[in-house]
Amino acid sequence: MNAALKDQQANAIVWALLLTMPWWMGAVGGYTELAIRVVVLGLAAMSLNFLLGFTGVLSFGHAAYFGLGAYGVGMTIKYLVASTPLGIVVGVATGALAAMIVGALIVKLRGVYFAMVTIAFGQVFFFIAFRWNEFTGGDDGLTGWKRQAIDLGFTKLDILGSDTLFYYFVLAVFAASVAVMAILIRSPFGRTLVAIRENERRARFLGIPVDQHIWISFVISCFFVSLAGTLYALLSNFTDPRALRWDQSGNFVIMAVLGGMRSFWGPLIGAAIFVVLQDWVSSHTENWMSVIGVFFMLIVLFFPRGVLGMLRRRATA
Amino acid sequence: MTQLILFNVFNGLIVGAFYALMALGLSLILNLSGVINFAHGGFLALGAYIAYTLMPFTGFWGALVIAPVLTAIFGLIVERFLIRPLYGRDPLYSLLLTFGLAYVLEDGARYIWGAQSVPYPIPAALTTPLSTEYFFLTGYRLFMVALVGIAVGGLFFILNRTRLGMRIRAGTLDLETVSVLGVNVRILRNLNFGLGIYLAGLAGVLAAGMLGLQPTIGTSLIIPSFVAIIVGGLGSLPGTLLGGLLIGVASGLTTVFFPSATEAVMYVMMGLVLLVRPRGLLGEEGRIQ
Amino acid sequence: MSVLEVRDVTKQFGKLVAVNGVSLAVEAGELRAIIGPNGAGKTTFFNLISGFFPPTAGTIVFDGKDITAIPEHRRVALGMARTFQVTEIFPELTVRENLRVPVEVAAGKRLSPWMSKADKAKAAARIEELMEMGGLGGKGDRLVGELSHGDQRATEIMMSIALKPRLLLLDEPTAGMGDQETYHITRLIRRLHREEKLTIVLIEHDMRVVFHLADRIMVLAEGAVLAEGTPAEIGSNELVQAAYLGKAA
Repeated sequence: MNAALKDQQANAIVWALLLTMPWWMGAVGGYTELAIRVVVLGLAAMSLNFLLGFTGVLSFGHAAYFGLGAYGVGMTIKYLVASTPLGIVVGVATGALAAMIVGALIVKLRGVYFAMVTIAFGQVFFFIAFRWNEFTGGDDGLTGWKRQAIDLGFTKLDILGSDTLFYYFVLAVFAASVAVMAILIRSPFGRTLVAIRENERRARFLGIPVDQHIWISFVISCFFVSLAGTLYALLSNFTDPRALRWDQSGNFVIMAVLGGMRSFWGPLIGAAIFVVLQDWVSSHTENWMSVIGVFFMLIVLFFPRGVLGMLRRRATA
Repeated sequence: MTQLILFNVFNGLIVGAFYALMALGLSLILNLSGVINFAHGGFLALGAYIAYTLMPFTGFWGALVIAPVLTAIFGLIVERFLIRPLYGRDPLYSLLLTFGLAYVLEDGARYIWGAQSVPYPIPAALTTPLSTEYFFLTGYRLFMVALVGIAVGGLFFILNRTRLGMRIRAGTLDLETVSVLGVNVRILRNLNFGLGIYLAGLAGVLAAGMLGLQPTIGTSLIIPSFVAIIVGGLGSLPGTLLGGLLIGVASGLTTVFFPSATEAVMYVMMGLVLLVRPRGLLGEEGRIQ
Repeated sequence: MSVLEVRDVTKQFGKLVAVNGVSLAVEAGELRAIIGPNGAGKTTFFNLISGFFPPTAGTIVFDGKDITAIPEHRRVALGMARTFQVTEIFPELTVRENLRVPVEVAAGKRLSPWMSKADKAKAAARIEELMEMGGLGGKGDRLVGELSHGDQRATEIMMSIALKPRLLLLDEPTAGMGDQETYHITRLIRRLHREEKLTIVLIEHDMRVVFHLADRIMVLAEGAVLAEGTPAEIGSNELVQAAYLGKAA
């Protein structure tokens, strides 16, 4: 079977599962909110993987932009205009703008140093959310707002009243986002990113300004992670500083690794496993941190290529 | 006002000394093995809790000597079984592993010693103020500064004067050559990791007396330690020391004038350093890759 | 007019002077070889020309333009391509994918999110042409990392050619190769030089290759120019024989 056909099959399976999720989620013991969380965090992990898997740059601070998106949408709806689309636009713009500035400061660094600086910068936004009580609600989080029904002119999408409708709204945003990322990865620009991942020195001496391309990739990645952040806040009509803390960043990275960094859909699978596991663990034990921590270690030691990496390896072996 | 400023500068200096102690250990491990030890804060907390557990039997002074050593031994074991398999792989993996370990250590401390802060007795001789005017100059604070000074001096002595230290420094510059010359790199990395964890343990025993001992004590110190390394200079231990003290004092001063920016100021400093000099104040050229 | 003119460049690493006041002028269409014993500063000199790091002193002029201070990727855009002593390729990509990157960069598409059908067809045709020229026909779908050393080197050279350079820098193109592979690479270089009229500067250890290919030869020793001339002149130069060939024997 050739690769293109295999890709098409994989795409068909993924979309079939996503489109029907609200119907079978209940049957396997889940609920619609869990399905939405899978899609939202899947988008976040896939966005991170645009940078991690397809550019070869490790950011351990993506929660910052996720959180900026979340606060952006929440604060817009609470203080400015009661409009979901406008809130999303503000949230994404905030996250992307922050990424442009931070990206310009860190783009000369590589490897562990890049990772370390992204962790440190992530903390800035955590402290802003934490300290700026009167507007962000500080440690208690941003409450007192709700996602708004979307007026399309000819009809109103009541995404607040119907969880299923909100699921499809989220899925539509997800679909548009991953489509853009897929197109970019297959474009000449995307190929320069893979070239940088494979051999930075070679890429430089093929005339690619590597710093510039990494910066663009970082901003694109953060743009979509902010978008995921807005959806995450809309889901619970709430956000708090934990949405942008370093542990959330670590979760995104482990989702990407768990599913398989080198494959397009891998991080979505990783997110699904992680979300379900976290949901189950936190309802069964108080020591969920230990369980998640051990889970991290086990994956790193015994499962570094992720689910899809293992499957692919088995297929070629 | 002068008194208030002095008080906060001095406070900042002590906190900076903790950052520095922690960041030096992180730097040692990062420079030789390319591992970002996210669990460093967990080791710090462990050092403090071991001291807390030992104190009824050994007293403060005994705990001060024994606890960091026990922490370091635990570090040697962790390196041997969890981190060694990851050398030569993408640094992403060791970062994720230590990230998971940080979770386990924090949660473990909560499980064993409880989520609330525990009383951490300090010898009475050290708690009395030495001066009525400068009330904050307690013996314990001066003692901490002195001890951090001794620890840093000892570290630089080991690195410059002992065979192990010289091998660590040589390995930091060129691990391959050191290995060809017949040094066992595995043991070198193991001992180096232990040394770094010793510093974390020591920082824990000291910090608990000032910051209070609860399971999250290490987590609150880890990210400033990253900032210290970046500000001070990648690959440079004197730079790391300088970075730690600088951000500590800067935070202390900011507390006086603009309290809500206490944490933010160090990140502003980091941004400025990255803008003007990406390799950090005392960083070596070519270390940013 | 000289394509490349290096004036009096020096590179110091701390106290070590790796390259000491070296000048070089390469005419259009020329194939210049740089030889010299190990540690003579040949690769450092190459790194200065290609912009791997800046010189401590001196200037480098390419096509009449002072490029001493501009970064490597802009030198590439001006028409300077290079290969490395240890082959630098994208080992986990196929030959075709390796070549596609420089082909698209040369077409000015490095930032494009999209390509028209016509552009795609043009790029594909160019890739086939390059594979043919490099003797890589039929290996387009193989991962480069799995190819022989000689084919990897050929891929690297063709990636540079894909950039349509005006000057090609080759750092020991036949290093570590057997006779058969050396022969193939030598023939490829000669063809690029004779038929494509490419200006080439190469560092080489294999004297058979050097004397077979070069129009002129520069000899470096201890960071400085020891001699310069045609292969015949260098072959009979006593200084060179004493300092270089003598040491090598």
